Amino acid sequence: MSIISAIALGLAMGIAFGFLLEKSRVFEPGVIVGQMQMRNFIMLRIFLSAVASGLVVLALGQLTGIIPKLDPKATLYGAQLLGGFLAGVGITLAGACPGTILCQVGAGYRDAIVTLLGGLGGALTFAYLEPILKPILLTGSPGRLTLHGLLGLPFWPLAIGFAAVLVVALVAMERWRPWRSELGENADGVLPPAERADERAKAAAAPARV
Amino acid sequence: MVRLTDKAWSPYLAGALIGLLQVPAFIFLGTALGASSSFVTVSASLAELVDPGIQALSYAGRYLDGAKNWWQVALVGGIALGALLSATLSGTRRSAPSPVWARALGTNNAAARFALAFLGGFVLLFGARLADGCTSGHGISGIAQLAVSGFIAVGAMFAGGIATAMLLRPVR
Repeated sequence: MSIISAIALGLAMGIAFGFLLEKSRVFEPGVIVGQMQMRNFIMLRIFLSAVASGLVVLALGQLTGIIPKLDPKATLYGAQLLGGFLAGVGITLAGACPGTILCQVGAGYRDAIVTLLGGLGGALTFAYLEPILKPILLTGSPGRLTLHGLLGLPFWPLAIGFAAVLVVALVAMERWRPWRSELGENADGVLPPAERADERAKAAAAPARV
Repeated sequence: MVRLTDKAWSPYLAGALIGLLQVPAFIFLGTALGASSSFVTVSASLAELVDPGIQALSYAGRYLDGAKNWWQVALVGGIALGALLSATLSGTRRSAPSPVWARALGTNNAAARFALAFLGGFVLLFGARLADGCTSGHGISGIAQLAVSGFIAVGAMFAGGIATAMLLRPVR
């Protein structure tokens, strides 16, 4: 694929991706920090839904031969544990993931431009330090390990089974607490403080005085 | 009904549609959705202007050229355009930092938020590049391929995110 057509395709897919991230509200710092404090589960709902549909389309792609080969990343225990932990620290402090930084920029959050600059600085710093980190953290990979590979099974039955488990979990989550109740007045995931919400619930439940 | 002018769509619908984007990614590029390596492509391309020697670094050099790298840069740039379009249609354009920060940080100080945004962005991308992926690459793409790397990285991301969030003030 030529660079020009790759860029055109990327732009078209990115516009769809950004549109969906914005509509889902997962780019809101209130949703992301709320998820990390286990007070708001919109992020998990979107994440698991995207994984479930990805599992299904990739399973169908493998079965039909439309997607003959998957592209799982190599396992690097130390780098993925430490790097993942650091990325998680960054997700909370930034209130964003790498993709949602740009969604925040597009929606207009002014601080997101600063997050973007910090992100570019962090990525460049890693690129310069990579030769030093390589012997410590980035060698000795056991390869592109996958669950189906470890179990010696084809991808699709495991993927469909896992997707079914996720769908059940999402249905249970919606029954436990409907997603709309986590949206907030301005659709930014910022909800009234818990004590006040409790008081209001109590006031509503108490018999009216005559 | 789902309308383009809605402020919010069901997270299940939006999430499932995001998962469908794996199809064009695999058919045309042979790879899955990702976002964080584009930060290396862009920052290393800018650094190349003042330090042409960066091409010689085997890691940075891998991200400078090629259709896959610039596809991802376009994808991530497109996210901003799509978000602008969606927020404009629904009338939810933002400007000031989210009100969640005043609660989580206990201060309205803009300088504090901007400093934390820079630090957060820095640690986020440094960590994501060390782990070789972010919530997109390891999360929605890695787990959808049943990659062991995805499960490890996502577990570690939630551990880091939750540990840090517990140090902040409750947001509700």
